[in-house]
Amino acid sequence: MTSPNASAGDGGSTDPPALRLVAIDKSYGALRAVHDAELEIRCGSLHAVVGENGAGKSTLLKVGAGIVRPDAGQIWSFGVREVAYDARRAQALGIAMVQQHFALFEELTALENIIIGHEPVRAWRAVGGIDVAMATERVLAVLQELGVQLPLHAKVATLGVGDKQRLEIARALYRDARIIILDEPTAVLTPLEATALYATLRRLVGDGRGVVVVTHKLDEVETHADVVTVMRRGTTLATRPVRHGEEVARLGGELVGGEPLPELRPRPPLQAHEAGGVRLRISELTCGRGLRGVSLEVYAGEIVGIAGVLGNGQSELIRILGGLLEADGGELVTGTLEVVHEDRQTTGLVLDASVEENLVHGQLARFSRWGLVDDARVHAEAMARIERFDVRPRTPETPARALSGGNQQKVVIARALARDPAVLVIAHPTRGVDLVAARSIHEQIFAAAARGTAVLVIGADLTELRLLCGRILVMLRGRIVATLPPSADDATLGAAMLGRDAGASN
Amino acid sequence: MTARSRQGALAVASALAVAWIVFALMVWLFGESPLVVGRLLFEGTWGTGYGAGQVLFKATPLLCTGVAVDLALRAGLFNIGGEGQLAVASLAVALVGARVGGLPSWAAVPLLLLVGAVAGGAWAAPPALLRARFGAHEVISTIMMNRVADALIGAAFGAGLAVAGSVRTEQVAESARIGRLDLVAHAFAGSAASFAFLVAVALAVAARWFMRHTRVGREVALVGQNAEACAAVHIPVRSRLAFALVASGAAAGLASAGTVLGYKGYYEIGLGAGAGFGGIAVALLGRSSAVGLVLAALFFGTLQQGGLAINAHVPREAMDVLQGVMILAVSLGDAGVRRALAGRSAVGVTA
Repeated sequence: MTSPNASAGDGGSTDPPALRLVAIDKSYGALRAVHDAELEIRCGSLHAVVGENGAGKSTLLKVGAGIVRPDAGQIWSFGVREVAYDARRAQALGIAMVQQHFALFEELTALENIIIGHEPVRAWRAVGGIDVAMATERVLAVLQELGVQLPLHAKVATLGVGDKQRLEIARALYRDARIIILDEPTAVLTPLEATALYATLRRLVGDGRGVVVVTHKLDEVETHADVVTVMRRGTTLATRPVRHGEEVARLGGELVGGEPLPELRPRPPLQAHEAGGVRLRISELTCGRGLRGVSLEVYAGEIVGIAGVLGNGQSELIRILGGLLEADGGELVTGTLEVVHEDRQTTGLVLDASVEENLVHGQLARFSRWGLVDDARVHAEAMARIERFDVRPRTPETPARALSGGNQQKVVIARALARDPAVLVIAHPTRGVDLVAARSIHEQIFAAAARGTAVLVIGADLTELRLLCGRILVMLRGRIVATLPPSADDATLGAAMLGRDAGASN
Repeated sequence: MTARSRQGALAVASALAVAWIVFALMVWLFGESPLVVGRLLFEGTWGTGYGAGQVLFKATPLLCTGVAVDLALRAGLFNIGGEGQLAVASLAVALVGARVGGLPSWAAVPLLLLVGAVAGGAWAAPPALLRARFGAHEVISTIMMNRVADALIGAAFGAGLAVAGSVRTEQVAESARIGRLDLVAHAFAGSAASFAFLVAVALAVAARWFMRHTRVGREVALVGQNAEACAAVHIPVRSRLAFALVASGAAAGLASAGTVLGYKGYYEIGLGAGAGFGGIAVALLGRSSAVGLVLAALFFGTLQQGGLAINAHVPREAMDVLQGVMILAVSLGDAGVRRALAGRSAVGVTA
């Protein structure tokens, strides 16, 4: 696909921007999420906002969408200063945001979700009859403009992530949004879906709408964006048009603090793994419609990846391995097994408990005698784990909630790896984790494998899977459908993930 | 942690202020002077040794049931079955107490405390099992067990368990009684305060200690905060939930120490009624700290006793209104104070 890095936003247009945020400050308690941030959003431009996790991207754009009220700062729209800017006003101005966690009614149909709150009503208004024909017509027009198709009469609960996202965009458009803000839209998509999403967004830009994409995938910025704003530690560093070349490396340097991006450390060579024997053997595991007979083996010291579009049985597999779900059939042979679950905030951590409690969560029996917890030993162990896994801040009494995503993940991994388990199953090791923390997490995974732990990584980020794994299994509709080397390219992997021949997908 | 407790204290303080304003308004509407009635209220409670003793007496069962509600709340459960648990425990204590005449006091009283705890816990066990096994909501099942307790006790008394022609049990053995405080502290002379108050305080301290220092207690609290994360690390969530509800019932059952052993010496229908629900207010105000629970129990004890002291001027039901206002103000104050401290951040809702 050609990159249409247009000239919009590079100073060529002098019209006042559709939305202008000036000197925005926003704190949550002691945490300063956004400080002195500036942003100009224009129609007819695809604007990427990049930054590490916790850089304040989401908060700043929620301010832009009227969802979060800033502590200080000004909001201008088309050259007019907005007072009392809120979600209602933003909607009136045509500014819509698609958040990471979709705001959809799972039990309603796609059509109902799009028109909800703005239903065309028949003449006998008082009775509230919805004019379904008119609604369908208008929604179809919106979908046509978007260039996508949706099963309008299917319940949202039955839709995949990609469809749900398109549904959110369609809803924004149905409400005449002129500016659409998307928060990490590609975090849940396959490479092919992501490409399709950007094609859709490009159409919207071509129609004169403005699109803002929050992301930390730099290659997406280079390929698709017209303008990029870099955020670091709550403030906006620079906004400039995107040009080809050097962009990615330079952006990466800006993200982590002006230093050049540290080299990705290559995977250390692993011993001939057969020597250590099989540590995890799964045979013909089945579970409802999620798993239809999964078999795999992981050897000691080996790192095996499972790639696949989310929703193809990965969640079931993880939850069965973690003991949260009963399998219907099949066999599971393993030694000590630790699971790092998909959602660290709900399944991995007790957010209101301290870092110390989370570090030994579920392991108190080892620090207890006669049922009494030995706090001194717990504290010493927690400090040791904090040091070893570089959890910041180094204060064990901090509530887990106050940690950044990366450090939260380190806490979960520290707990899982503390006792050198025979098997580590880890889902999305660095999802929502900043680059520096991601590097440290990768090193912990390599170190665990070097100590003989069999590692199974379930991931969505192909780059990461390639970096970590010696073998990549592809999961589709509850089965393992392919085993590929880490050298396989996106097209091959993507084709396998969608069940196509590599040759068939362009 | 300190920030949170400061926040809690602030919420309670502001709730108190609101409650007193409402109180003054109410008194004024009755055509009385808030100052005069306020003075009566104070003199009738903390103003005299007798009044203070009566406050301790009223606070005793409230403190036990307050600890009970708090224990369940820590696990994320709402035990509103304190009424039934206390009634059943009181009956059991009275029945066993009448038959321990041969035992010396040092054996009889602990034994009866145990009986009360076991009976209260047993009455909480069916809801606990239903919750653990089938996920049945404990609010429904515990309140239902209150009615079952009422009906069963009524039937048992009708079937001959009661002293003929009455709705009360026999007197417990003299050695099973818990002594009055005025035996050692003459200031409390004439009041019904008994050493059961110290039992209740010990219960509050023990519950706090248990939750903080034992593995099971710590895990109960973690389950209350995020059961899914506990299941993920193989903490037996169901049994921790069941344990918390049974322990809660046991604490409620211990309130019988104040009503049966420390006061009447027998159980009659209606004895201790209201303490189960009163415990909810105590737990909400006490905010999971032993000191807080004791202070909250004393506060509501003061209101109960104070209601009697001002009854000639203002109907004592005014105190019930005050209690309700306190609960409302505390729960609202919580949210309000949190928002105020967070820097007045009004968060809008997506349209």
